[in-house]
Amino acid sequence: MRALLLTLICALPAVAQARLEVVATLPDLAALAREVGGDAVAVTALVDANEDPHYVDPKPSLVLPLNRADLLIVNGLELEVGWLPPLQVAARNGNIQTGADGYFDASSVVDRLNVPGGKVDRAQGDIHPGGNPHFVFDPRAAARIATALGDRMARLDPTHAEQYRANAKALHDRLDALAERERARFAALPASKRQVVIYHDSLPYLADWLGLTAVAFVEPRPGIPPTPPHVAKVLQRMKKAEARVILQEAFYPKKTSETLARLAGGQVVVLEGGARFDQGDTYSARITRAAQAIHAALSR
Amino acid sequence: MNGPRAWAALVGLALGAALPARAAAPDDPGLDPAEQAALEAALHADAAAVEDAVHPTPVVVAAGAGSSNPDISLVLDTAGAWFSDDPAQLGGHDPNRTGFVLQQLEMNVVSNVDPFFRFEANIVFAEFGVEVEEAYATTLALPGNLQLRAGQFLTRFGRLNPTHPHAWDFVDQPLVNGKFFGSEGSRGLGAEVSWLSPLPWYAELAGAVTNAHQACCARSFYGGDDLGVEDPRDLLATLTLKQFFDLSRTWGLKLGLSTQLGPNPTGQGNRTDIYGADLYLRYRDPGSRGALSLQVEGMVRSRQVPDDRLQDAGGYAQLVWDIDPEWSVGGRYEYVSGVEDDPLDPAWDTARQRASAQLTYYPSHFSRLRLQGNHDRLPDRDDALWGAMLALEVVVGAHGAHGY
Repeated sequence: MRALLLTLICALPAVAQARLEVVATLPDLAALAREVGGDAVAVTALVDANEDPHYVDPKPSLVLPLNRADLLIVNGLELEVGWLPPLQVAARNGNIQTGADGYFDASSVVDRLNVPGGKVDRAQGDIHPGGNPHFVFDPRAAARIATALGDRMARLDPTHAEQYRANAKALHDRLDALAERERARFAALPASKRQVVIYHDSLPYLADWLGLTAVAFVEPRPGIPPTPPHVAKVLQRMKKAEARVILQEAFYPKKTSETLARLAGGQVVVLEGGARFDQGDTYSARITRAAQAIHAALSR
Repeated sequence: MNGPRAWAALVGLALGAALPARAAAPDDPGLDPAEQAALEAALHADAAAVEDAVHPTPVVVAAGAGSSNPDISLVLDTAGAWFSDDPAQLGGHDPNRTGFVLQQLEMNVVSNVDPFFRFEANIVFAEFGVEVEEAYATTLALPGNLQLRAGQFLTRFGRLNPTHPHAWDFVDQPLVNGKFFGSEGSRGLGAEVSWLSPLPWYAELAGAVTNAHQACCARSFYGGDDLGVEDPRDLLATLTLKQFFDLSRTWGLKLGLSTQLGPNPTGQGNRTDIYGADLYLRYRDPGSRGALSLQVEGMVRSRQVPDDRLQDAGGYAQLVWDIDPEWSVGGRYEYVSGVEDDPLDPAWDTARQRASAQLTYYPSHFSRLRLQGNHDRLPDRDDALWGAMLALEVVVGAHGAHGY
């Protein structure tokens, strides 16, 4: 009798739903979830690879996957604060409300950088009080997210717990190896070569991982568009430090960066905003492409 | 004769303020030791009391700094305006005089209450005082794709009505909203139930029941006359259907149908019906911050009055181009018909037309400066009314996101 009950309880989730419905805001998080979940999950990404995750149109169609979701994966640290909360409410889905088991905040498992020490003031620009939210650019952070995702999926769907944990462990190890390999490759470059200019303050995790030094930002303050006097200062600093590479994501305007690069005799490296999830891209492939493009530019 | 008395008061105050300091000085010759000791003891006691009172405060602050604090934001809308003649704006927060105007200072408070409810309030401070514009709770996890909302809220009629001036593309409220609903739009105390359909595209049905009175917010119905509720038909019913279609990666189309049915005060059983349709077509490449959006809204109204049925209609069409994160430009055309012997708007016997153009500059995501020009043809005036407005908006605090 007890065995029968147990079987029934175990079989219930499998009967109620064939696959765990997972929705991730960022395509990088969606790619990680797909690798951890394998064929036991169906994953949807709300943000396009080359869409600025700060400014997403909260299209009502995004409510539909949220309405069905068993698990919502968010980046957190207020990255999605400008568009996700009303969609979450409109989804009418208790599983994925903030604090529920089906709500996974990736920022809760990573080491945060640039956590403001004093009072947060908007005169400093669009800064995030909990720390810089762009940690998906560091595969070491991604590795920790993979492990935590494995545990969370195992809790939500115990039938496939073994599979989730095994996939997560394997992905974690692959990402750590990748991170170490690239870190060592960049460390072989002289420190003077590892200087960059960054468009928006979105790459401190990438800089930390690859040992890059940001000599300037093209935006005077996060989220404030560049002004002529500031850009002149950036050029001065680039020339003085002999930094020749400007890094930015695809969704930021490129003209200013291209002009700066031309005047400083350098180049712009445009990074994809995330994995091309809808084309089957993996996180490892995407982050390796980014590291290779930066390495190639720095070694010139 | 006020001069000497004021001086005396000031001197007295200065002396009073100086007294404790002098008393605390040990070598003060004007006080005997007993007096000095008594004063010092009193000062110590006060200081200790202040310290005791202060001690618990850091604990409260620490708790408040956690995530249990609601998100609170303030939106300040202020403007300078000029009109070629007496202004005739209809919106409660529209600049409506030549000179400076405080359109509103809106305090928005949002928080999840528990796993079952979300709370939202908009409290508006204006030149005339303070009002609770909205305060309601929304359910988060009802079964059957249902959602309930209760409290005071803007009804979901049409596209513009459920939103706040902060989310509008123009400085002022469309004329048809002001004429049919009132200066604050369609708003009331009541309850709403909505349902997300299981269709493969977004289709949401909502029905609300609210009080039918309030001059600001239900003027086609009971308006300023609270005639009470003796029958369910004495309440105001609002029904809406909203649908959204992802036409492509870059184009989105939202369509809405709305109706509002309720009693009017012109006689027993006299009713008002308002029907509306709205369209929002938006182009945006997800890889850029630029966008182009077309918004069209039309409404027809039918009122039973003694011995007659009054019918009028109105609407607006606007095109807004967000050039980049800093600049936006838009144009709007409005048309609202009139009827003879209208008990609400006796002078509005023929159509009123207004054309507007705006240019907006966003120094950051949290501030904007908007210049708008209006050309208004009113039914009861020979000359066109021209208007120009320069409006500043600033937002501080954690402000909730806007819908599509």
